[in-house]
Amino acid sequence: MEAVKEALQEGRPVAYFPYGEGALLLVERRRSLEAFPLGQGRRLPSLAAEFPSLDWFERALWERGLELVGHPGLRPLRRHDLPYAFREFPHLHEVPVGPVHAGIIEPGHFRFSVLGERILNLEIRLGYQHRGLLGIMPGKGPEAALLLAERAGGEPVAHALAFAEAWERALGIEAPPRAQYLRRAALELERAFGHLGHLAGLFTDIGYAYGATQVGRIRALLQGEVDRLTGHRYGRNFIRAGGVWREGRPDLEALSRYQKELDWLLPRLLKHPQVLDRMRYVGVVRRVEALALGFVGPTARASGVERDLRQDDALYPAFVPVVRQGGDVLSRAQVYAEEALQALEYALRFLHQRAEGPLAVEVEAGDGEGMARVEAGRGEVFWFVRLEEGRVVQAEGVDPSFKNWRALELAVRGEGLPDFPLCNKSFDLSYAGNDL
Amino acid sequence: MSLLRTLRIGVLARALEEILQVPSQAFGYPLLQPKGLSREAREGLVKVCPSGAFFEEEGIFSLDLARCVGCGRCALVYPEAVGEMKTLEVAVVRREDLVQRVDLAAQAFLDPGPPPPPRPELRLPTLAFREVSAGDTGLADSEIALLGNPFNDMARFGFQVVASPRHGDALLVTGPVSRNMAQALERTYQAMPEPKGVVAVGNEAIAGGVFAESPEVWAGVDRVVPVDVYVPGDPPRPGAILHGLLLLTGRVVQRLVGGVVR
Repeated sequence: MEAVKEALQEGRPVAYFPYGEGALLLVERRRSLEAFPLGQGRRLPSLAAEFPSLDWFERALWERGLELVGHPGLRPLRRHDLPYAFREFPHLHEVPVGPVHAGIIEPGHFRFSVLGERILNLEIRLGYQHRGLLGIMPGKGPEAALLLAERAGGEPVAHALAFAEAWERALGIEAPPRAQYLRRAALELERAFGHLGHLAGLFTDIGYAYGATQVGRIRALLQGEVDRLTGHRYGRNFIRAGGVWREGRPDLEALSRYQKELDWLLPRLLKHPQVLDRMRYVGVVRRVEALALGFVGPTARASGVERDLRQDDALYPAFVPVVRQGGDVLSRAQVYAEEALQALEYALRFLHQRAEGPLAVEVEAGDGEGMARVEAGRGEVFWFVRLEEGRVVQAEGVDPSFKNWRALELAVRGEGLPDFPLCNKSFDLSYAGNDL
Repeated sequence: MSLLRTLRIGVLARALEEILQVPSQAFGYPLLQPKGLSREAREGLVKVCPSGAFFEEEGIFSLDLARCVGCGRCALVYPEAVGEMKTLEVAVVRREDLVQRVDLAAQAFLDPGPPPPPRPELRLPTLAFREVSAGDTGLADSEIALLGNPFNDMARFGFQVVASPRHGDALLVTGPVSRNMAQALERTYQAMPEPKGVVAVGNEAIAGGVFAESPEVWAGVDRVVPVDVYVPGDPPRPGAILHGLLLLTGRVVQRLVGGVVR
């Protein structure tokens, strides 16, 4: 127990799922992963009171039938058949929003407690997107299971990559070098595509039509290149266990043209007085909060946490993460802009230097356990699989959004109610990824 | 400076015919070849499809477009049995029109008869729609949102998104309808004034897609609210969704009958 606490004090939880008689807690400390089997007979000691980063993980475990001894406030996360009570503030006005929102986005419920127009508390209730994805995984072969993994969150390439790597590690095989390059190229294009979407959304939300249109235009063109590389507008049906399915021919010249244009455009857009006025000092997540609650991806990096899983990837030698200290909406926008440019550069590099050789190795049926992590646009995607005779016995996935949703609750405290859409967009979290 | 750049970029909006095309490098929708369906090919197709879109029962071999994820492996492995439909004019008003059924004895497609006409009260010059995501991963939502970008520019055709269901003529639904969203979807539908149309966008919305077997979903929008137009795809490209909206407003005729362009 002391070892777990020590690890959590310096690190952050990566995943926590039922395993054997109890559960397995994975903690990242000083860039390396440590595993702690906890509990017995489906009873687990709760650590959420001491380590808030574990709160949602423990609630998710409790919902799945495990007993959490000593949890400070167990409430369902994804299941709506269990009773749920919102925190009450007798003297404040309550503004309920959702699950159906005004824009074209996924469903979720937001309960604002406001004094005048100022948000004093936000409570987020999700679970509307719960499709029981992990429950229908057992029994699936590699292809059917990958179809589900691709639908786990808003970033199909990252999820497919993490899932395929977990599968390969379970069987002790490795994808050929050519596939490695193509997979990373698709991952980087997905990142650039996603980040440009966040930026276009932010510009729309502050009424900066020029920025939104220009970024949206290049994003649409970039999506055409994702389509050319993977055969799908979002990169589905591309990655397989053991390699990739196909090798498309994206237009490399066009890609470098988009990169150049963005290189010129994005810094100028982010210096526009209207942008600075609306984004600076709004929706601040402090570094201590990011560390204590275990935020990942651009959310953490915009708050000064220097961590990107690509630092550990041999295909990214001397990788330097994009970090900002401000923690506000502008910092996140700057991280998105710079990472989009960096991602396009890496995509071009991978497509130029892709090795010769086969696209995939054959995957035999086998037994084993494997896990993998991938830095998606929104942060760390985690997948674990346990296989028997080439079929899934247990699969566990964690989307980065699951770890980041509470950043939004913190960011909007003290902000005006009309700033909520802007703050929400600056994280652009996946609802489906959280609800699975 | 901005004006010069704008002039240099020029007009981005693409013609409708161009939007309704599948780009050359991508796989469109599969099309059964009645003459090439040998026993070996049929058994192979059922095995090769990762999403289980092929079925065989009582001398009839069928392909459900609403279960196809569009990977194109069937056409690669069995080119004599499966071809490709390179069109995005795939929206239909009747669910059966998404299923290709081949009578193996006659080696020919079964014809389910002419489709019902679109509802006359929805023949509108403009259409305001509300979107509800009910368990979608976010990609079908994203494709609907991209209908508004400068390339597709759906406002040209009179389509616009509205924030409230009370201002909507149509409801676009994505996702397999998770149990937790069913009530919200039903109430959104009830909040809309008559006449109202419903479009199920994407395979998951039509029949649950890969989530069909999950106990946490209804596996189909039409199990919760009545559906007027089905748009297959995983997710459907913006062109296919645009075709669905045009079909709902009676401005184009349905092309797919019994899963085949006729």
